[in-house]
Amino acid sequence: MINETRRSRYLLYAALGVFALFALTPYFWVVRTSLLTNFAAINPETGYLPALDALTLTAYTDIWNQFDFVTFFQNSVIVSVSATLISLVFSIPGAYAFARLDFPGRKLLFYTAVFTIMFPWIVITIPVYEVFYVFGLINTLPGIIIALSIFVLPQTIWLLQGFFRQGIPENIEEAALIDGHTEIGAFLRIVLPLSAPAVGAAALFSFLTAWNNFLWVFVLTSDEDVRTATVAIHFILGSDVLREWNILMAAVVLLVAPPVVFYGLSQRYVGEGLGGA
Amino acid sequence: MARVEFDNITKVFEDTSGPIIAVEELSLDIPDGEFVVFVGPSGCGKSTTLRMLAGLESITDGELRLNGEPVNNVSPRDRDIAMVFQSYALYPHKTVRGNMGYGLSLSTDLNDEEVDRRVVEAAEMMGIEDLLDKKPGSLSGGQQQRVATGRAIVREPAVFLFDEPLSNLDAQLRKHMRTELSRIHSELGITTIYVTHDQEEAMTMADRIVILNDGQLQQVGSPKEVYYRPANTFVADFIGSPSMNFFDVDLEVASDGTGTLVGNGFTYSVSDSLVDLVGGEGEYILSVRPENLNVDPSAPDERSFEATVDVVEVIGSDNFIYLDVAGKECRLRAPSEVEPEEGDVITVSFDEADLHLFDRNTEEALIHGHERAESSPKMIESEA
Ligand SMILES: Nc1ncnc2c1ncn2[C@@H]1O[C@H](COP(=O)(O)OP(=O)(O)OP(=O)(O)O)[C@@H](O)[C@H]1O
Ligand SMILES: [Mg+2]
Repeated sequence: MINETRRSRYLLYAALGVFALFALTPYFWVVRTSLLTNFAAINPETGYLPALDALTLTAYTDIWNQFDFVTFFQNSVIVSVSATLISLVFSIPGAYAFARLDFPGRKLLFYTAVFTIMFPWIVITIPVYEVFYVFGLINTLPGIIIALSIFVLPQTIWLLQGFFRQGIPENIEEAALIDGHTEIGAFLRIVLPLSAPAVGAAALFSFLTAWNNFLWVFVLTSDEDVRTATVAIHFILGSDVLREWNILMAAVVLLVAPPVVFYGLSQRYVGEGLGGA
Repeated sequence: MARVEFDNITKVFEDTSGPIIAVEELSLDIPDGEFVVFVGPSGCGKSTTLRMLAGLESITDGELRLNGEPVNNVSPRDRDIAMVFQSYALYPHKTVRGNMGYGLSLSTDLNDEEVDRRVVEAAEMMGIEDLLDKKPGSLSGGQQQRVATGRAIVREPAVFLFDEPLSNLDAQLRKHMRTELSRIHSELGITTIYVTHDQEEAMTMADRIVILNDGQLQQVGSPKEVYYRPANTFVADFIGSPSMNFFDVDLEVASDGTGTLVGNGFTYSVSDSLVDLVGGEGEYILSVRPENLNVDPSAPDERSFEATVDVVEVIGSDNFIYLDVAGKECRLRAPSEVEPEEGDVITVSFDEADLHLFDRNTEEALIHGHERAESSPKMIESEA
């Protein structure tokens, strides 16, 4: 009996190990390659674990010097943070309304919102471009921010309404109303503080979605000075750096770093939010 | 301190499947300081009534008055009420102290010291002084219940509302809290409306019981009244445990004027005065409480019937005997020394003073026992 459980546990670990290897190898390869010199990156002699003295940060300094990454990152941060904040401002009350109020057309609106999460956005790029063009929002950061806010809104609403529906103890707002709050007061002072974990999770997902968004930024910008890092990488790929794998991988690492940091910061809340604690 | 008046209150929920009438034309006058218990089966509209009073649910029709003032459109915060929810609804992010003091600091201009003094006072009353700095999440169900009650009493509101506050506690704690809540009510003398589906809770705590079914008021009266003089078969069936026995009977009056109730499996002759009171022959429902049925081999034939013992349930102080009377179940509560064998045929009798007769069509009460008969059906209406 004991043997059997132990054996199945070894099997489990073995399977987990294989899976982890499979999942982590690409990341390892990205980091490894980004730390090599130009030549070592394409040299078949370079081992899977290159010798320590072969490692260098030149790829990072090169990329910083060759491209205007400061601007790209700055744009990315401005755009992602703004889109996150704007989408939260709208989705918190919206999700609360979907979860708690019964108004005509609630279901229809909600399913429309959820449907847009799965919507093949690419088919509406041209009309959207025209609309943004009419409003003079092409090649502007506000334009990108508006587009991304709208883009992340449905997923934030969907995430938050689930929390408001299930994560807030029954009758708690009613207790607050009886204790002397107005409806707005009960929401702001009781419900919102209790929702911090879920709001944190929603913020994280909005940020990641906005940060990683390629399509809208690509469609709505052509100037380099409003380009985000995600789109910039695409242009680097297309430029003659193509064969400089180390530089490319360094760009990828740089691109992934901010979301990881952001995740680390909000993880404390997110874990709770998703765990329902 | 408040008098609560429901004046023809109706509540209709608009559901996708059509309107649901949760409460229909409820009229009720609750004088200041009374402990009223709303009781009824699930879905009968108890919570809805309470929530309308709290201001958490709009009123479709009728007028609700607090101290004579119509409050239909007054928001919950301006009604001076406190409510204890079945789920307790404590604020998870606040300590017990914070939970209890929150309403006071919001709705009064007491300073922090004063609030804290009252919180401590209420906590002492509920026996939770030690818990003041804990968060609700770390408390047991019984402790949370006390905090919820404490949060209500600290406000010293005009009206207390309780919606099944004890239903999440185990039986023993529930009994204990019952006495405790009664004690608090007599100490504070605040009008209290208490919702439960447990008739025993209603009987033990209430000054008056309000029995609802399907959104309609069935009867209002003291525990004794609803027990001895149920207004209709619903109340008769709902109040008392095990519940009342019902038999369809016909009253036959012989040429000499003597009346006999003839049912399926038995006959029972009744006195002339009862015949007079009922007003002659007709179809009725006879009912007798299990505790009023006796196993009595020497009972006269015309005042007893035979029944086969199905099951004997020993509960210690008493025995519940389930009988078969011509295919119909009949419950009898006997002293513990009466313990017939299953399958025995026994003679069961009851006193005319303990019978109730209901109209078979309307199911309204006609007669409650001989002695109480004179005034009974009218008493029910006028007691309020
Ligand atoms: N928000 C609502 N929307 C639609 N129908 C409702 C709503 N709230 C209550 N009802 C209906 O109103 C009726 C009365 O409900 P209520 O909650 O008052 O019953 P209750 O007596 O408290 O029952 P329980 O003992 O189960 O708590 C039920 O038929 C219920 O389905
Ligand atoms: Mg209820």
